[in-house]
Amino acid sequence: MKLVQTLIVVLISVMMKLDSRMFGRLNFERPLLTCTICGLLLGNLQVGLQVGATMELATLGMMSIGASGIDMNMGALVGCAICIMTGADIETAITIAVPMTLLCTLIETVASVVRINFTHMCDDAVEKGDFRKAKRIDIVYGPVLYVLCTIIPVFLSVYFGASVVEAIASSVPTWVTAGVSLGANIIAYYGFAMLLSTMVNKNTVVYFFAGFLLAAYSGLGLTAIALIGIVLAMILYTVKYTGTGVQAASAASAVDDLEDLDN
Amino acid sequence: MSAKGLEAQRNYPLNKKLKEIFWGSWCMQTNWNYERQMNTAFMYGMSRTIDRLYPDADEVEKKKAVYKRHLEFFNITPQCAALVFGICMAMEEEYAEHPDTFDPASISAVKVALMGPLSGIGDALFQGTIRIIAMSIGISLAQQGSIIGPILAALISIGTSAPITWFLGKFGYTKGQEFVRQMAESNLMEKVMFVCSIAGLFVIGGMSATLSSLTTPLQFGEALVLQNVLDGIMPNMIPLAMTWLMYFIIKSGKVKPMTVIIGCFVAGIILNYFGILAC
Repeated sequence: MKLVQTLIVVLISVMMKLDSRMFGRLNFERPLLTCTICGLLLGNLQVGLQVGATMELATLGMMSIGASGIDMNMGALVGCAICIMTGADIETAITIAVPMTLLCTLIETVASVVRINFTHMCDDAVEKGDFRKAKRIDIVYGPVLYVLCTIIPVFLSVYFGASVVEAIASSVPTWVTAGVSLGANIIAYYGFAMLLSTMVNKNTVVYFFAGFLLAAYSGLGLTAIALIGIVLAMILYTVKYTGTGVQAASAASAVDDLEDLDN
Repeated sequence: MSAKGLEAQRNYPLNKKLKEIFWGSWCMQTNWNYERQMNTAFMYGMSRTIDRLYPDADEVEKKKAVYKRHLEFFNITPQCAALVFGICMAMEEEYAEHPDTFDPASISAVKVALMGPLSGIGDALFQGTIRIIAMSIGISLAQQGSIIGPILAALISIGTSAPITWFLGKFGYTKGQEFVRQMAESNLMEKVMFVCSIAGLFVIGGMSATLSSLTTPLQFGEALVLQNVLDGIMPNMIPLAMTWLMYFIIKSGKVKPMTVIIGCFVAGIILNYFGILAC
């Protein structure tokens, strides 16, 4: 019975993980929906709703943008499942969710290193003309790795209990985890630099610094920076291609007409 | 030359193309990685278009170049990727038809120029607004013990994501085609490149200051906190230095990518251990 229940929870965790990977992040990978489904399938909807609502409320403010982000969802799922299976109270679910989240973050850090390797395998496959393999790496290897990284901690913690999770999470020294995550942050700059190297030249490097300085000094978000960048580009466009008119900046076709007139 | 491929792509039904765009967008995070983020997923989304455009064995070098173009750094809100896919699909078609006059660098430039604003708007809309509305309604009903709450939350999420993704893909592809045709007829290409490269570089500059963080915990006595000194000169100095360090490593062409990656982790562990850098 316990094994069957554990497998059901593992299955839910796989579905939820794939939501953000292959279904456009439809918010199924959120404590409210995950715990509700867990409650429904394990036969105690009320506990599922309660744990889901509590955990959702606690994490509603967290938003994962770009590289960073903490995923509390698997923690909420495991907490909810253990609550239903052992009859513990809802507070227990929250105390289980925290070490579980730590464990997931730990595994995710290792997986992110592997995925960098996947990207290079993909480069090599394209270089050799093996396009099928390149596609397979993205659509099969990637999701399978995500699923594996979900299945293992969820199974261990639901089947063997929360103490196992805590033991694993605390056995890895912090200097390793902190070091690896620092390394991963540094690699992000390698990605930016790669992008930069394809676009930049002596005449345009100033725009990189303009964007950087504006973001660094103002603390504005990337959306603001991007919109300002577009406006700046439009202004410079007007200056370069029409010389005179603000009225010319309105549309590309209008610009063409005016140029014809100038000629 | 690639007339056969072009014909195959032109004759391929619009709805099937839009379906490819739709699923390509939703699978945007299949292989999220620190180095180039969603690059392989973008390549996957474009792959069927590319395969149709270059069917012959003697075009394999061209095909490789197109695949590589779509393996560059990419990051976006999954739902919004559809717009970029649509435009890129239209541009790749145009490039396949006029390989001599169409500058393929403009495709990369358009991608980079679009991903900043689209992710910003997309995250604000899907994560910041729709998610909050859906979940708040869901929570309040769930707390009263009603399953209607989570069901409503799911319906709101799907009911907005799916049509928006579909519409963005359709808009991007059909408008993209018109736009790209106009581009080929006038010297609009050069102008688009001009605008995109300015906006794109501006965004890359902003990204290196905001998307990731590096600080130093170094301290000399009570009074001298190094990070404060650096911030006093210019905020985010370390990220800026790191970006250019990486740039020169890439430009030198002497270091293999895998060496850089391993080096980053080793450096990360050492710098963290001695308290020189933190994130």
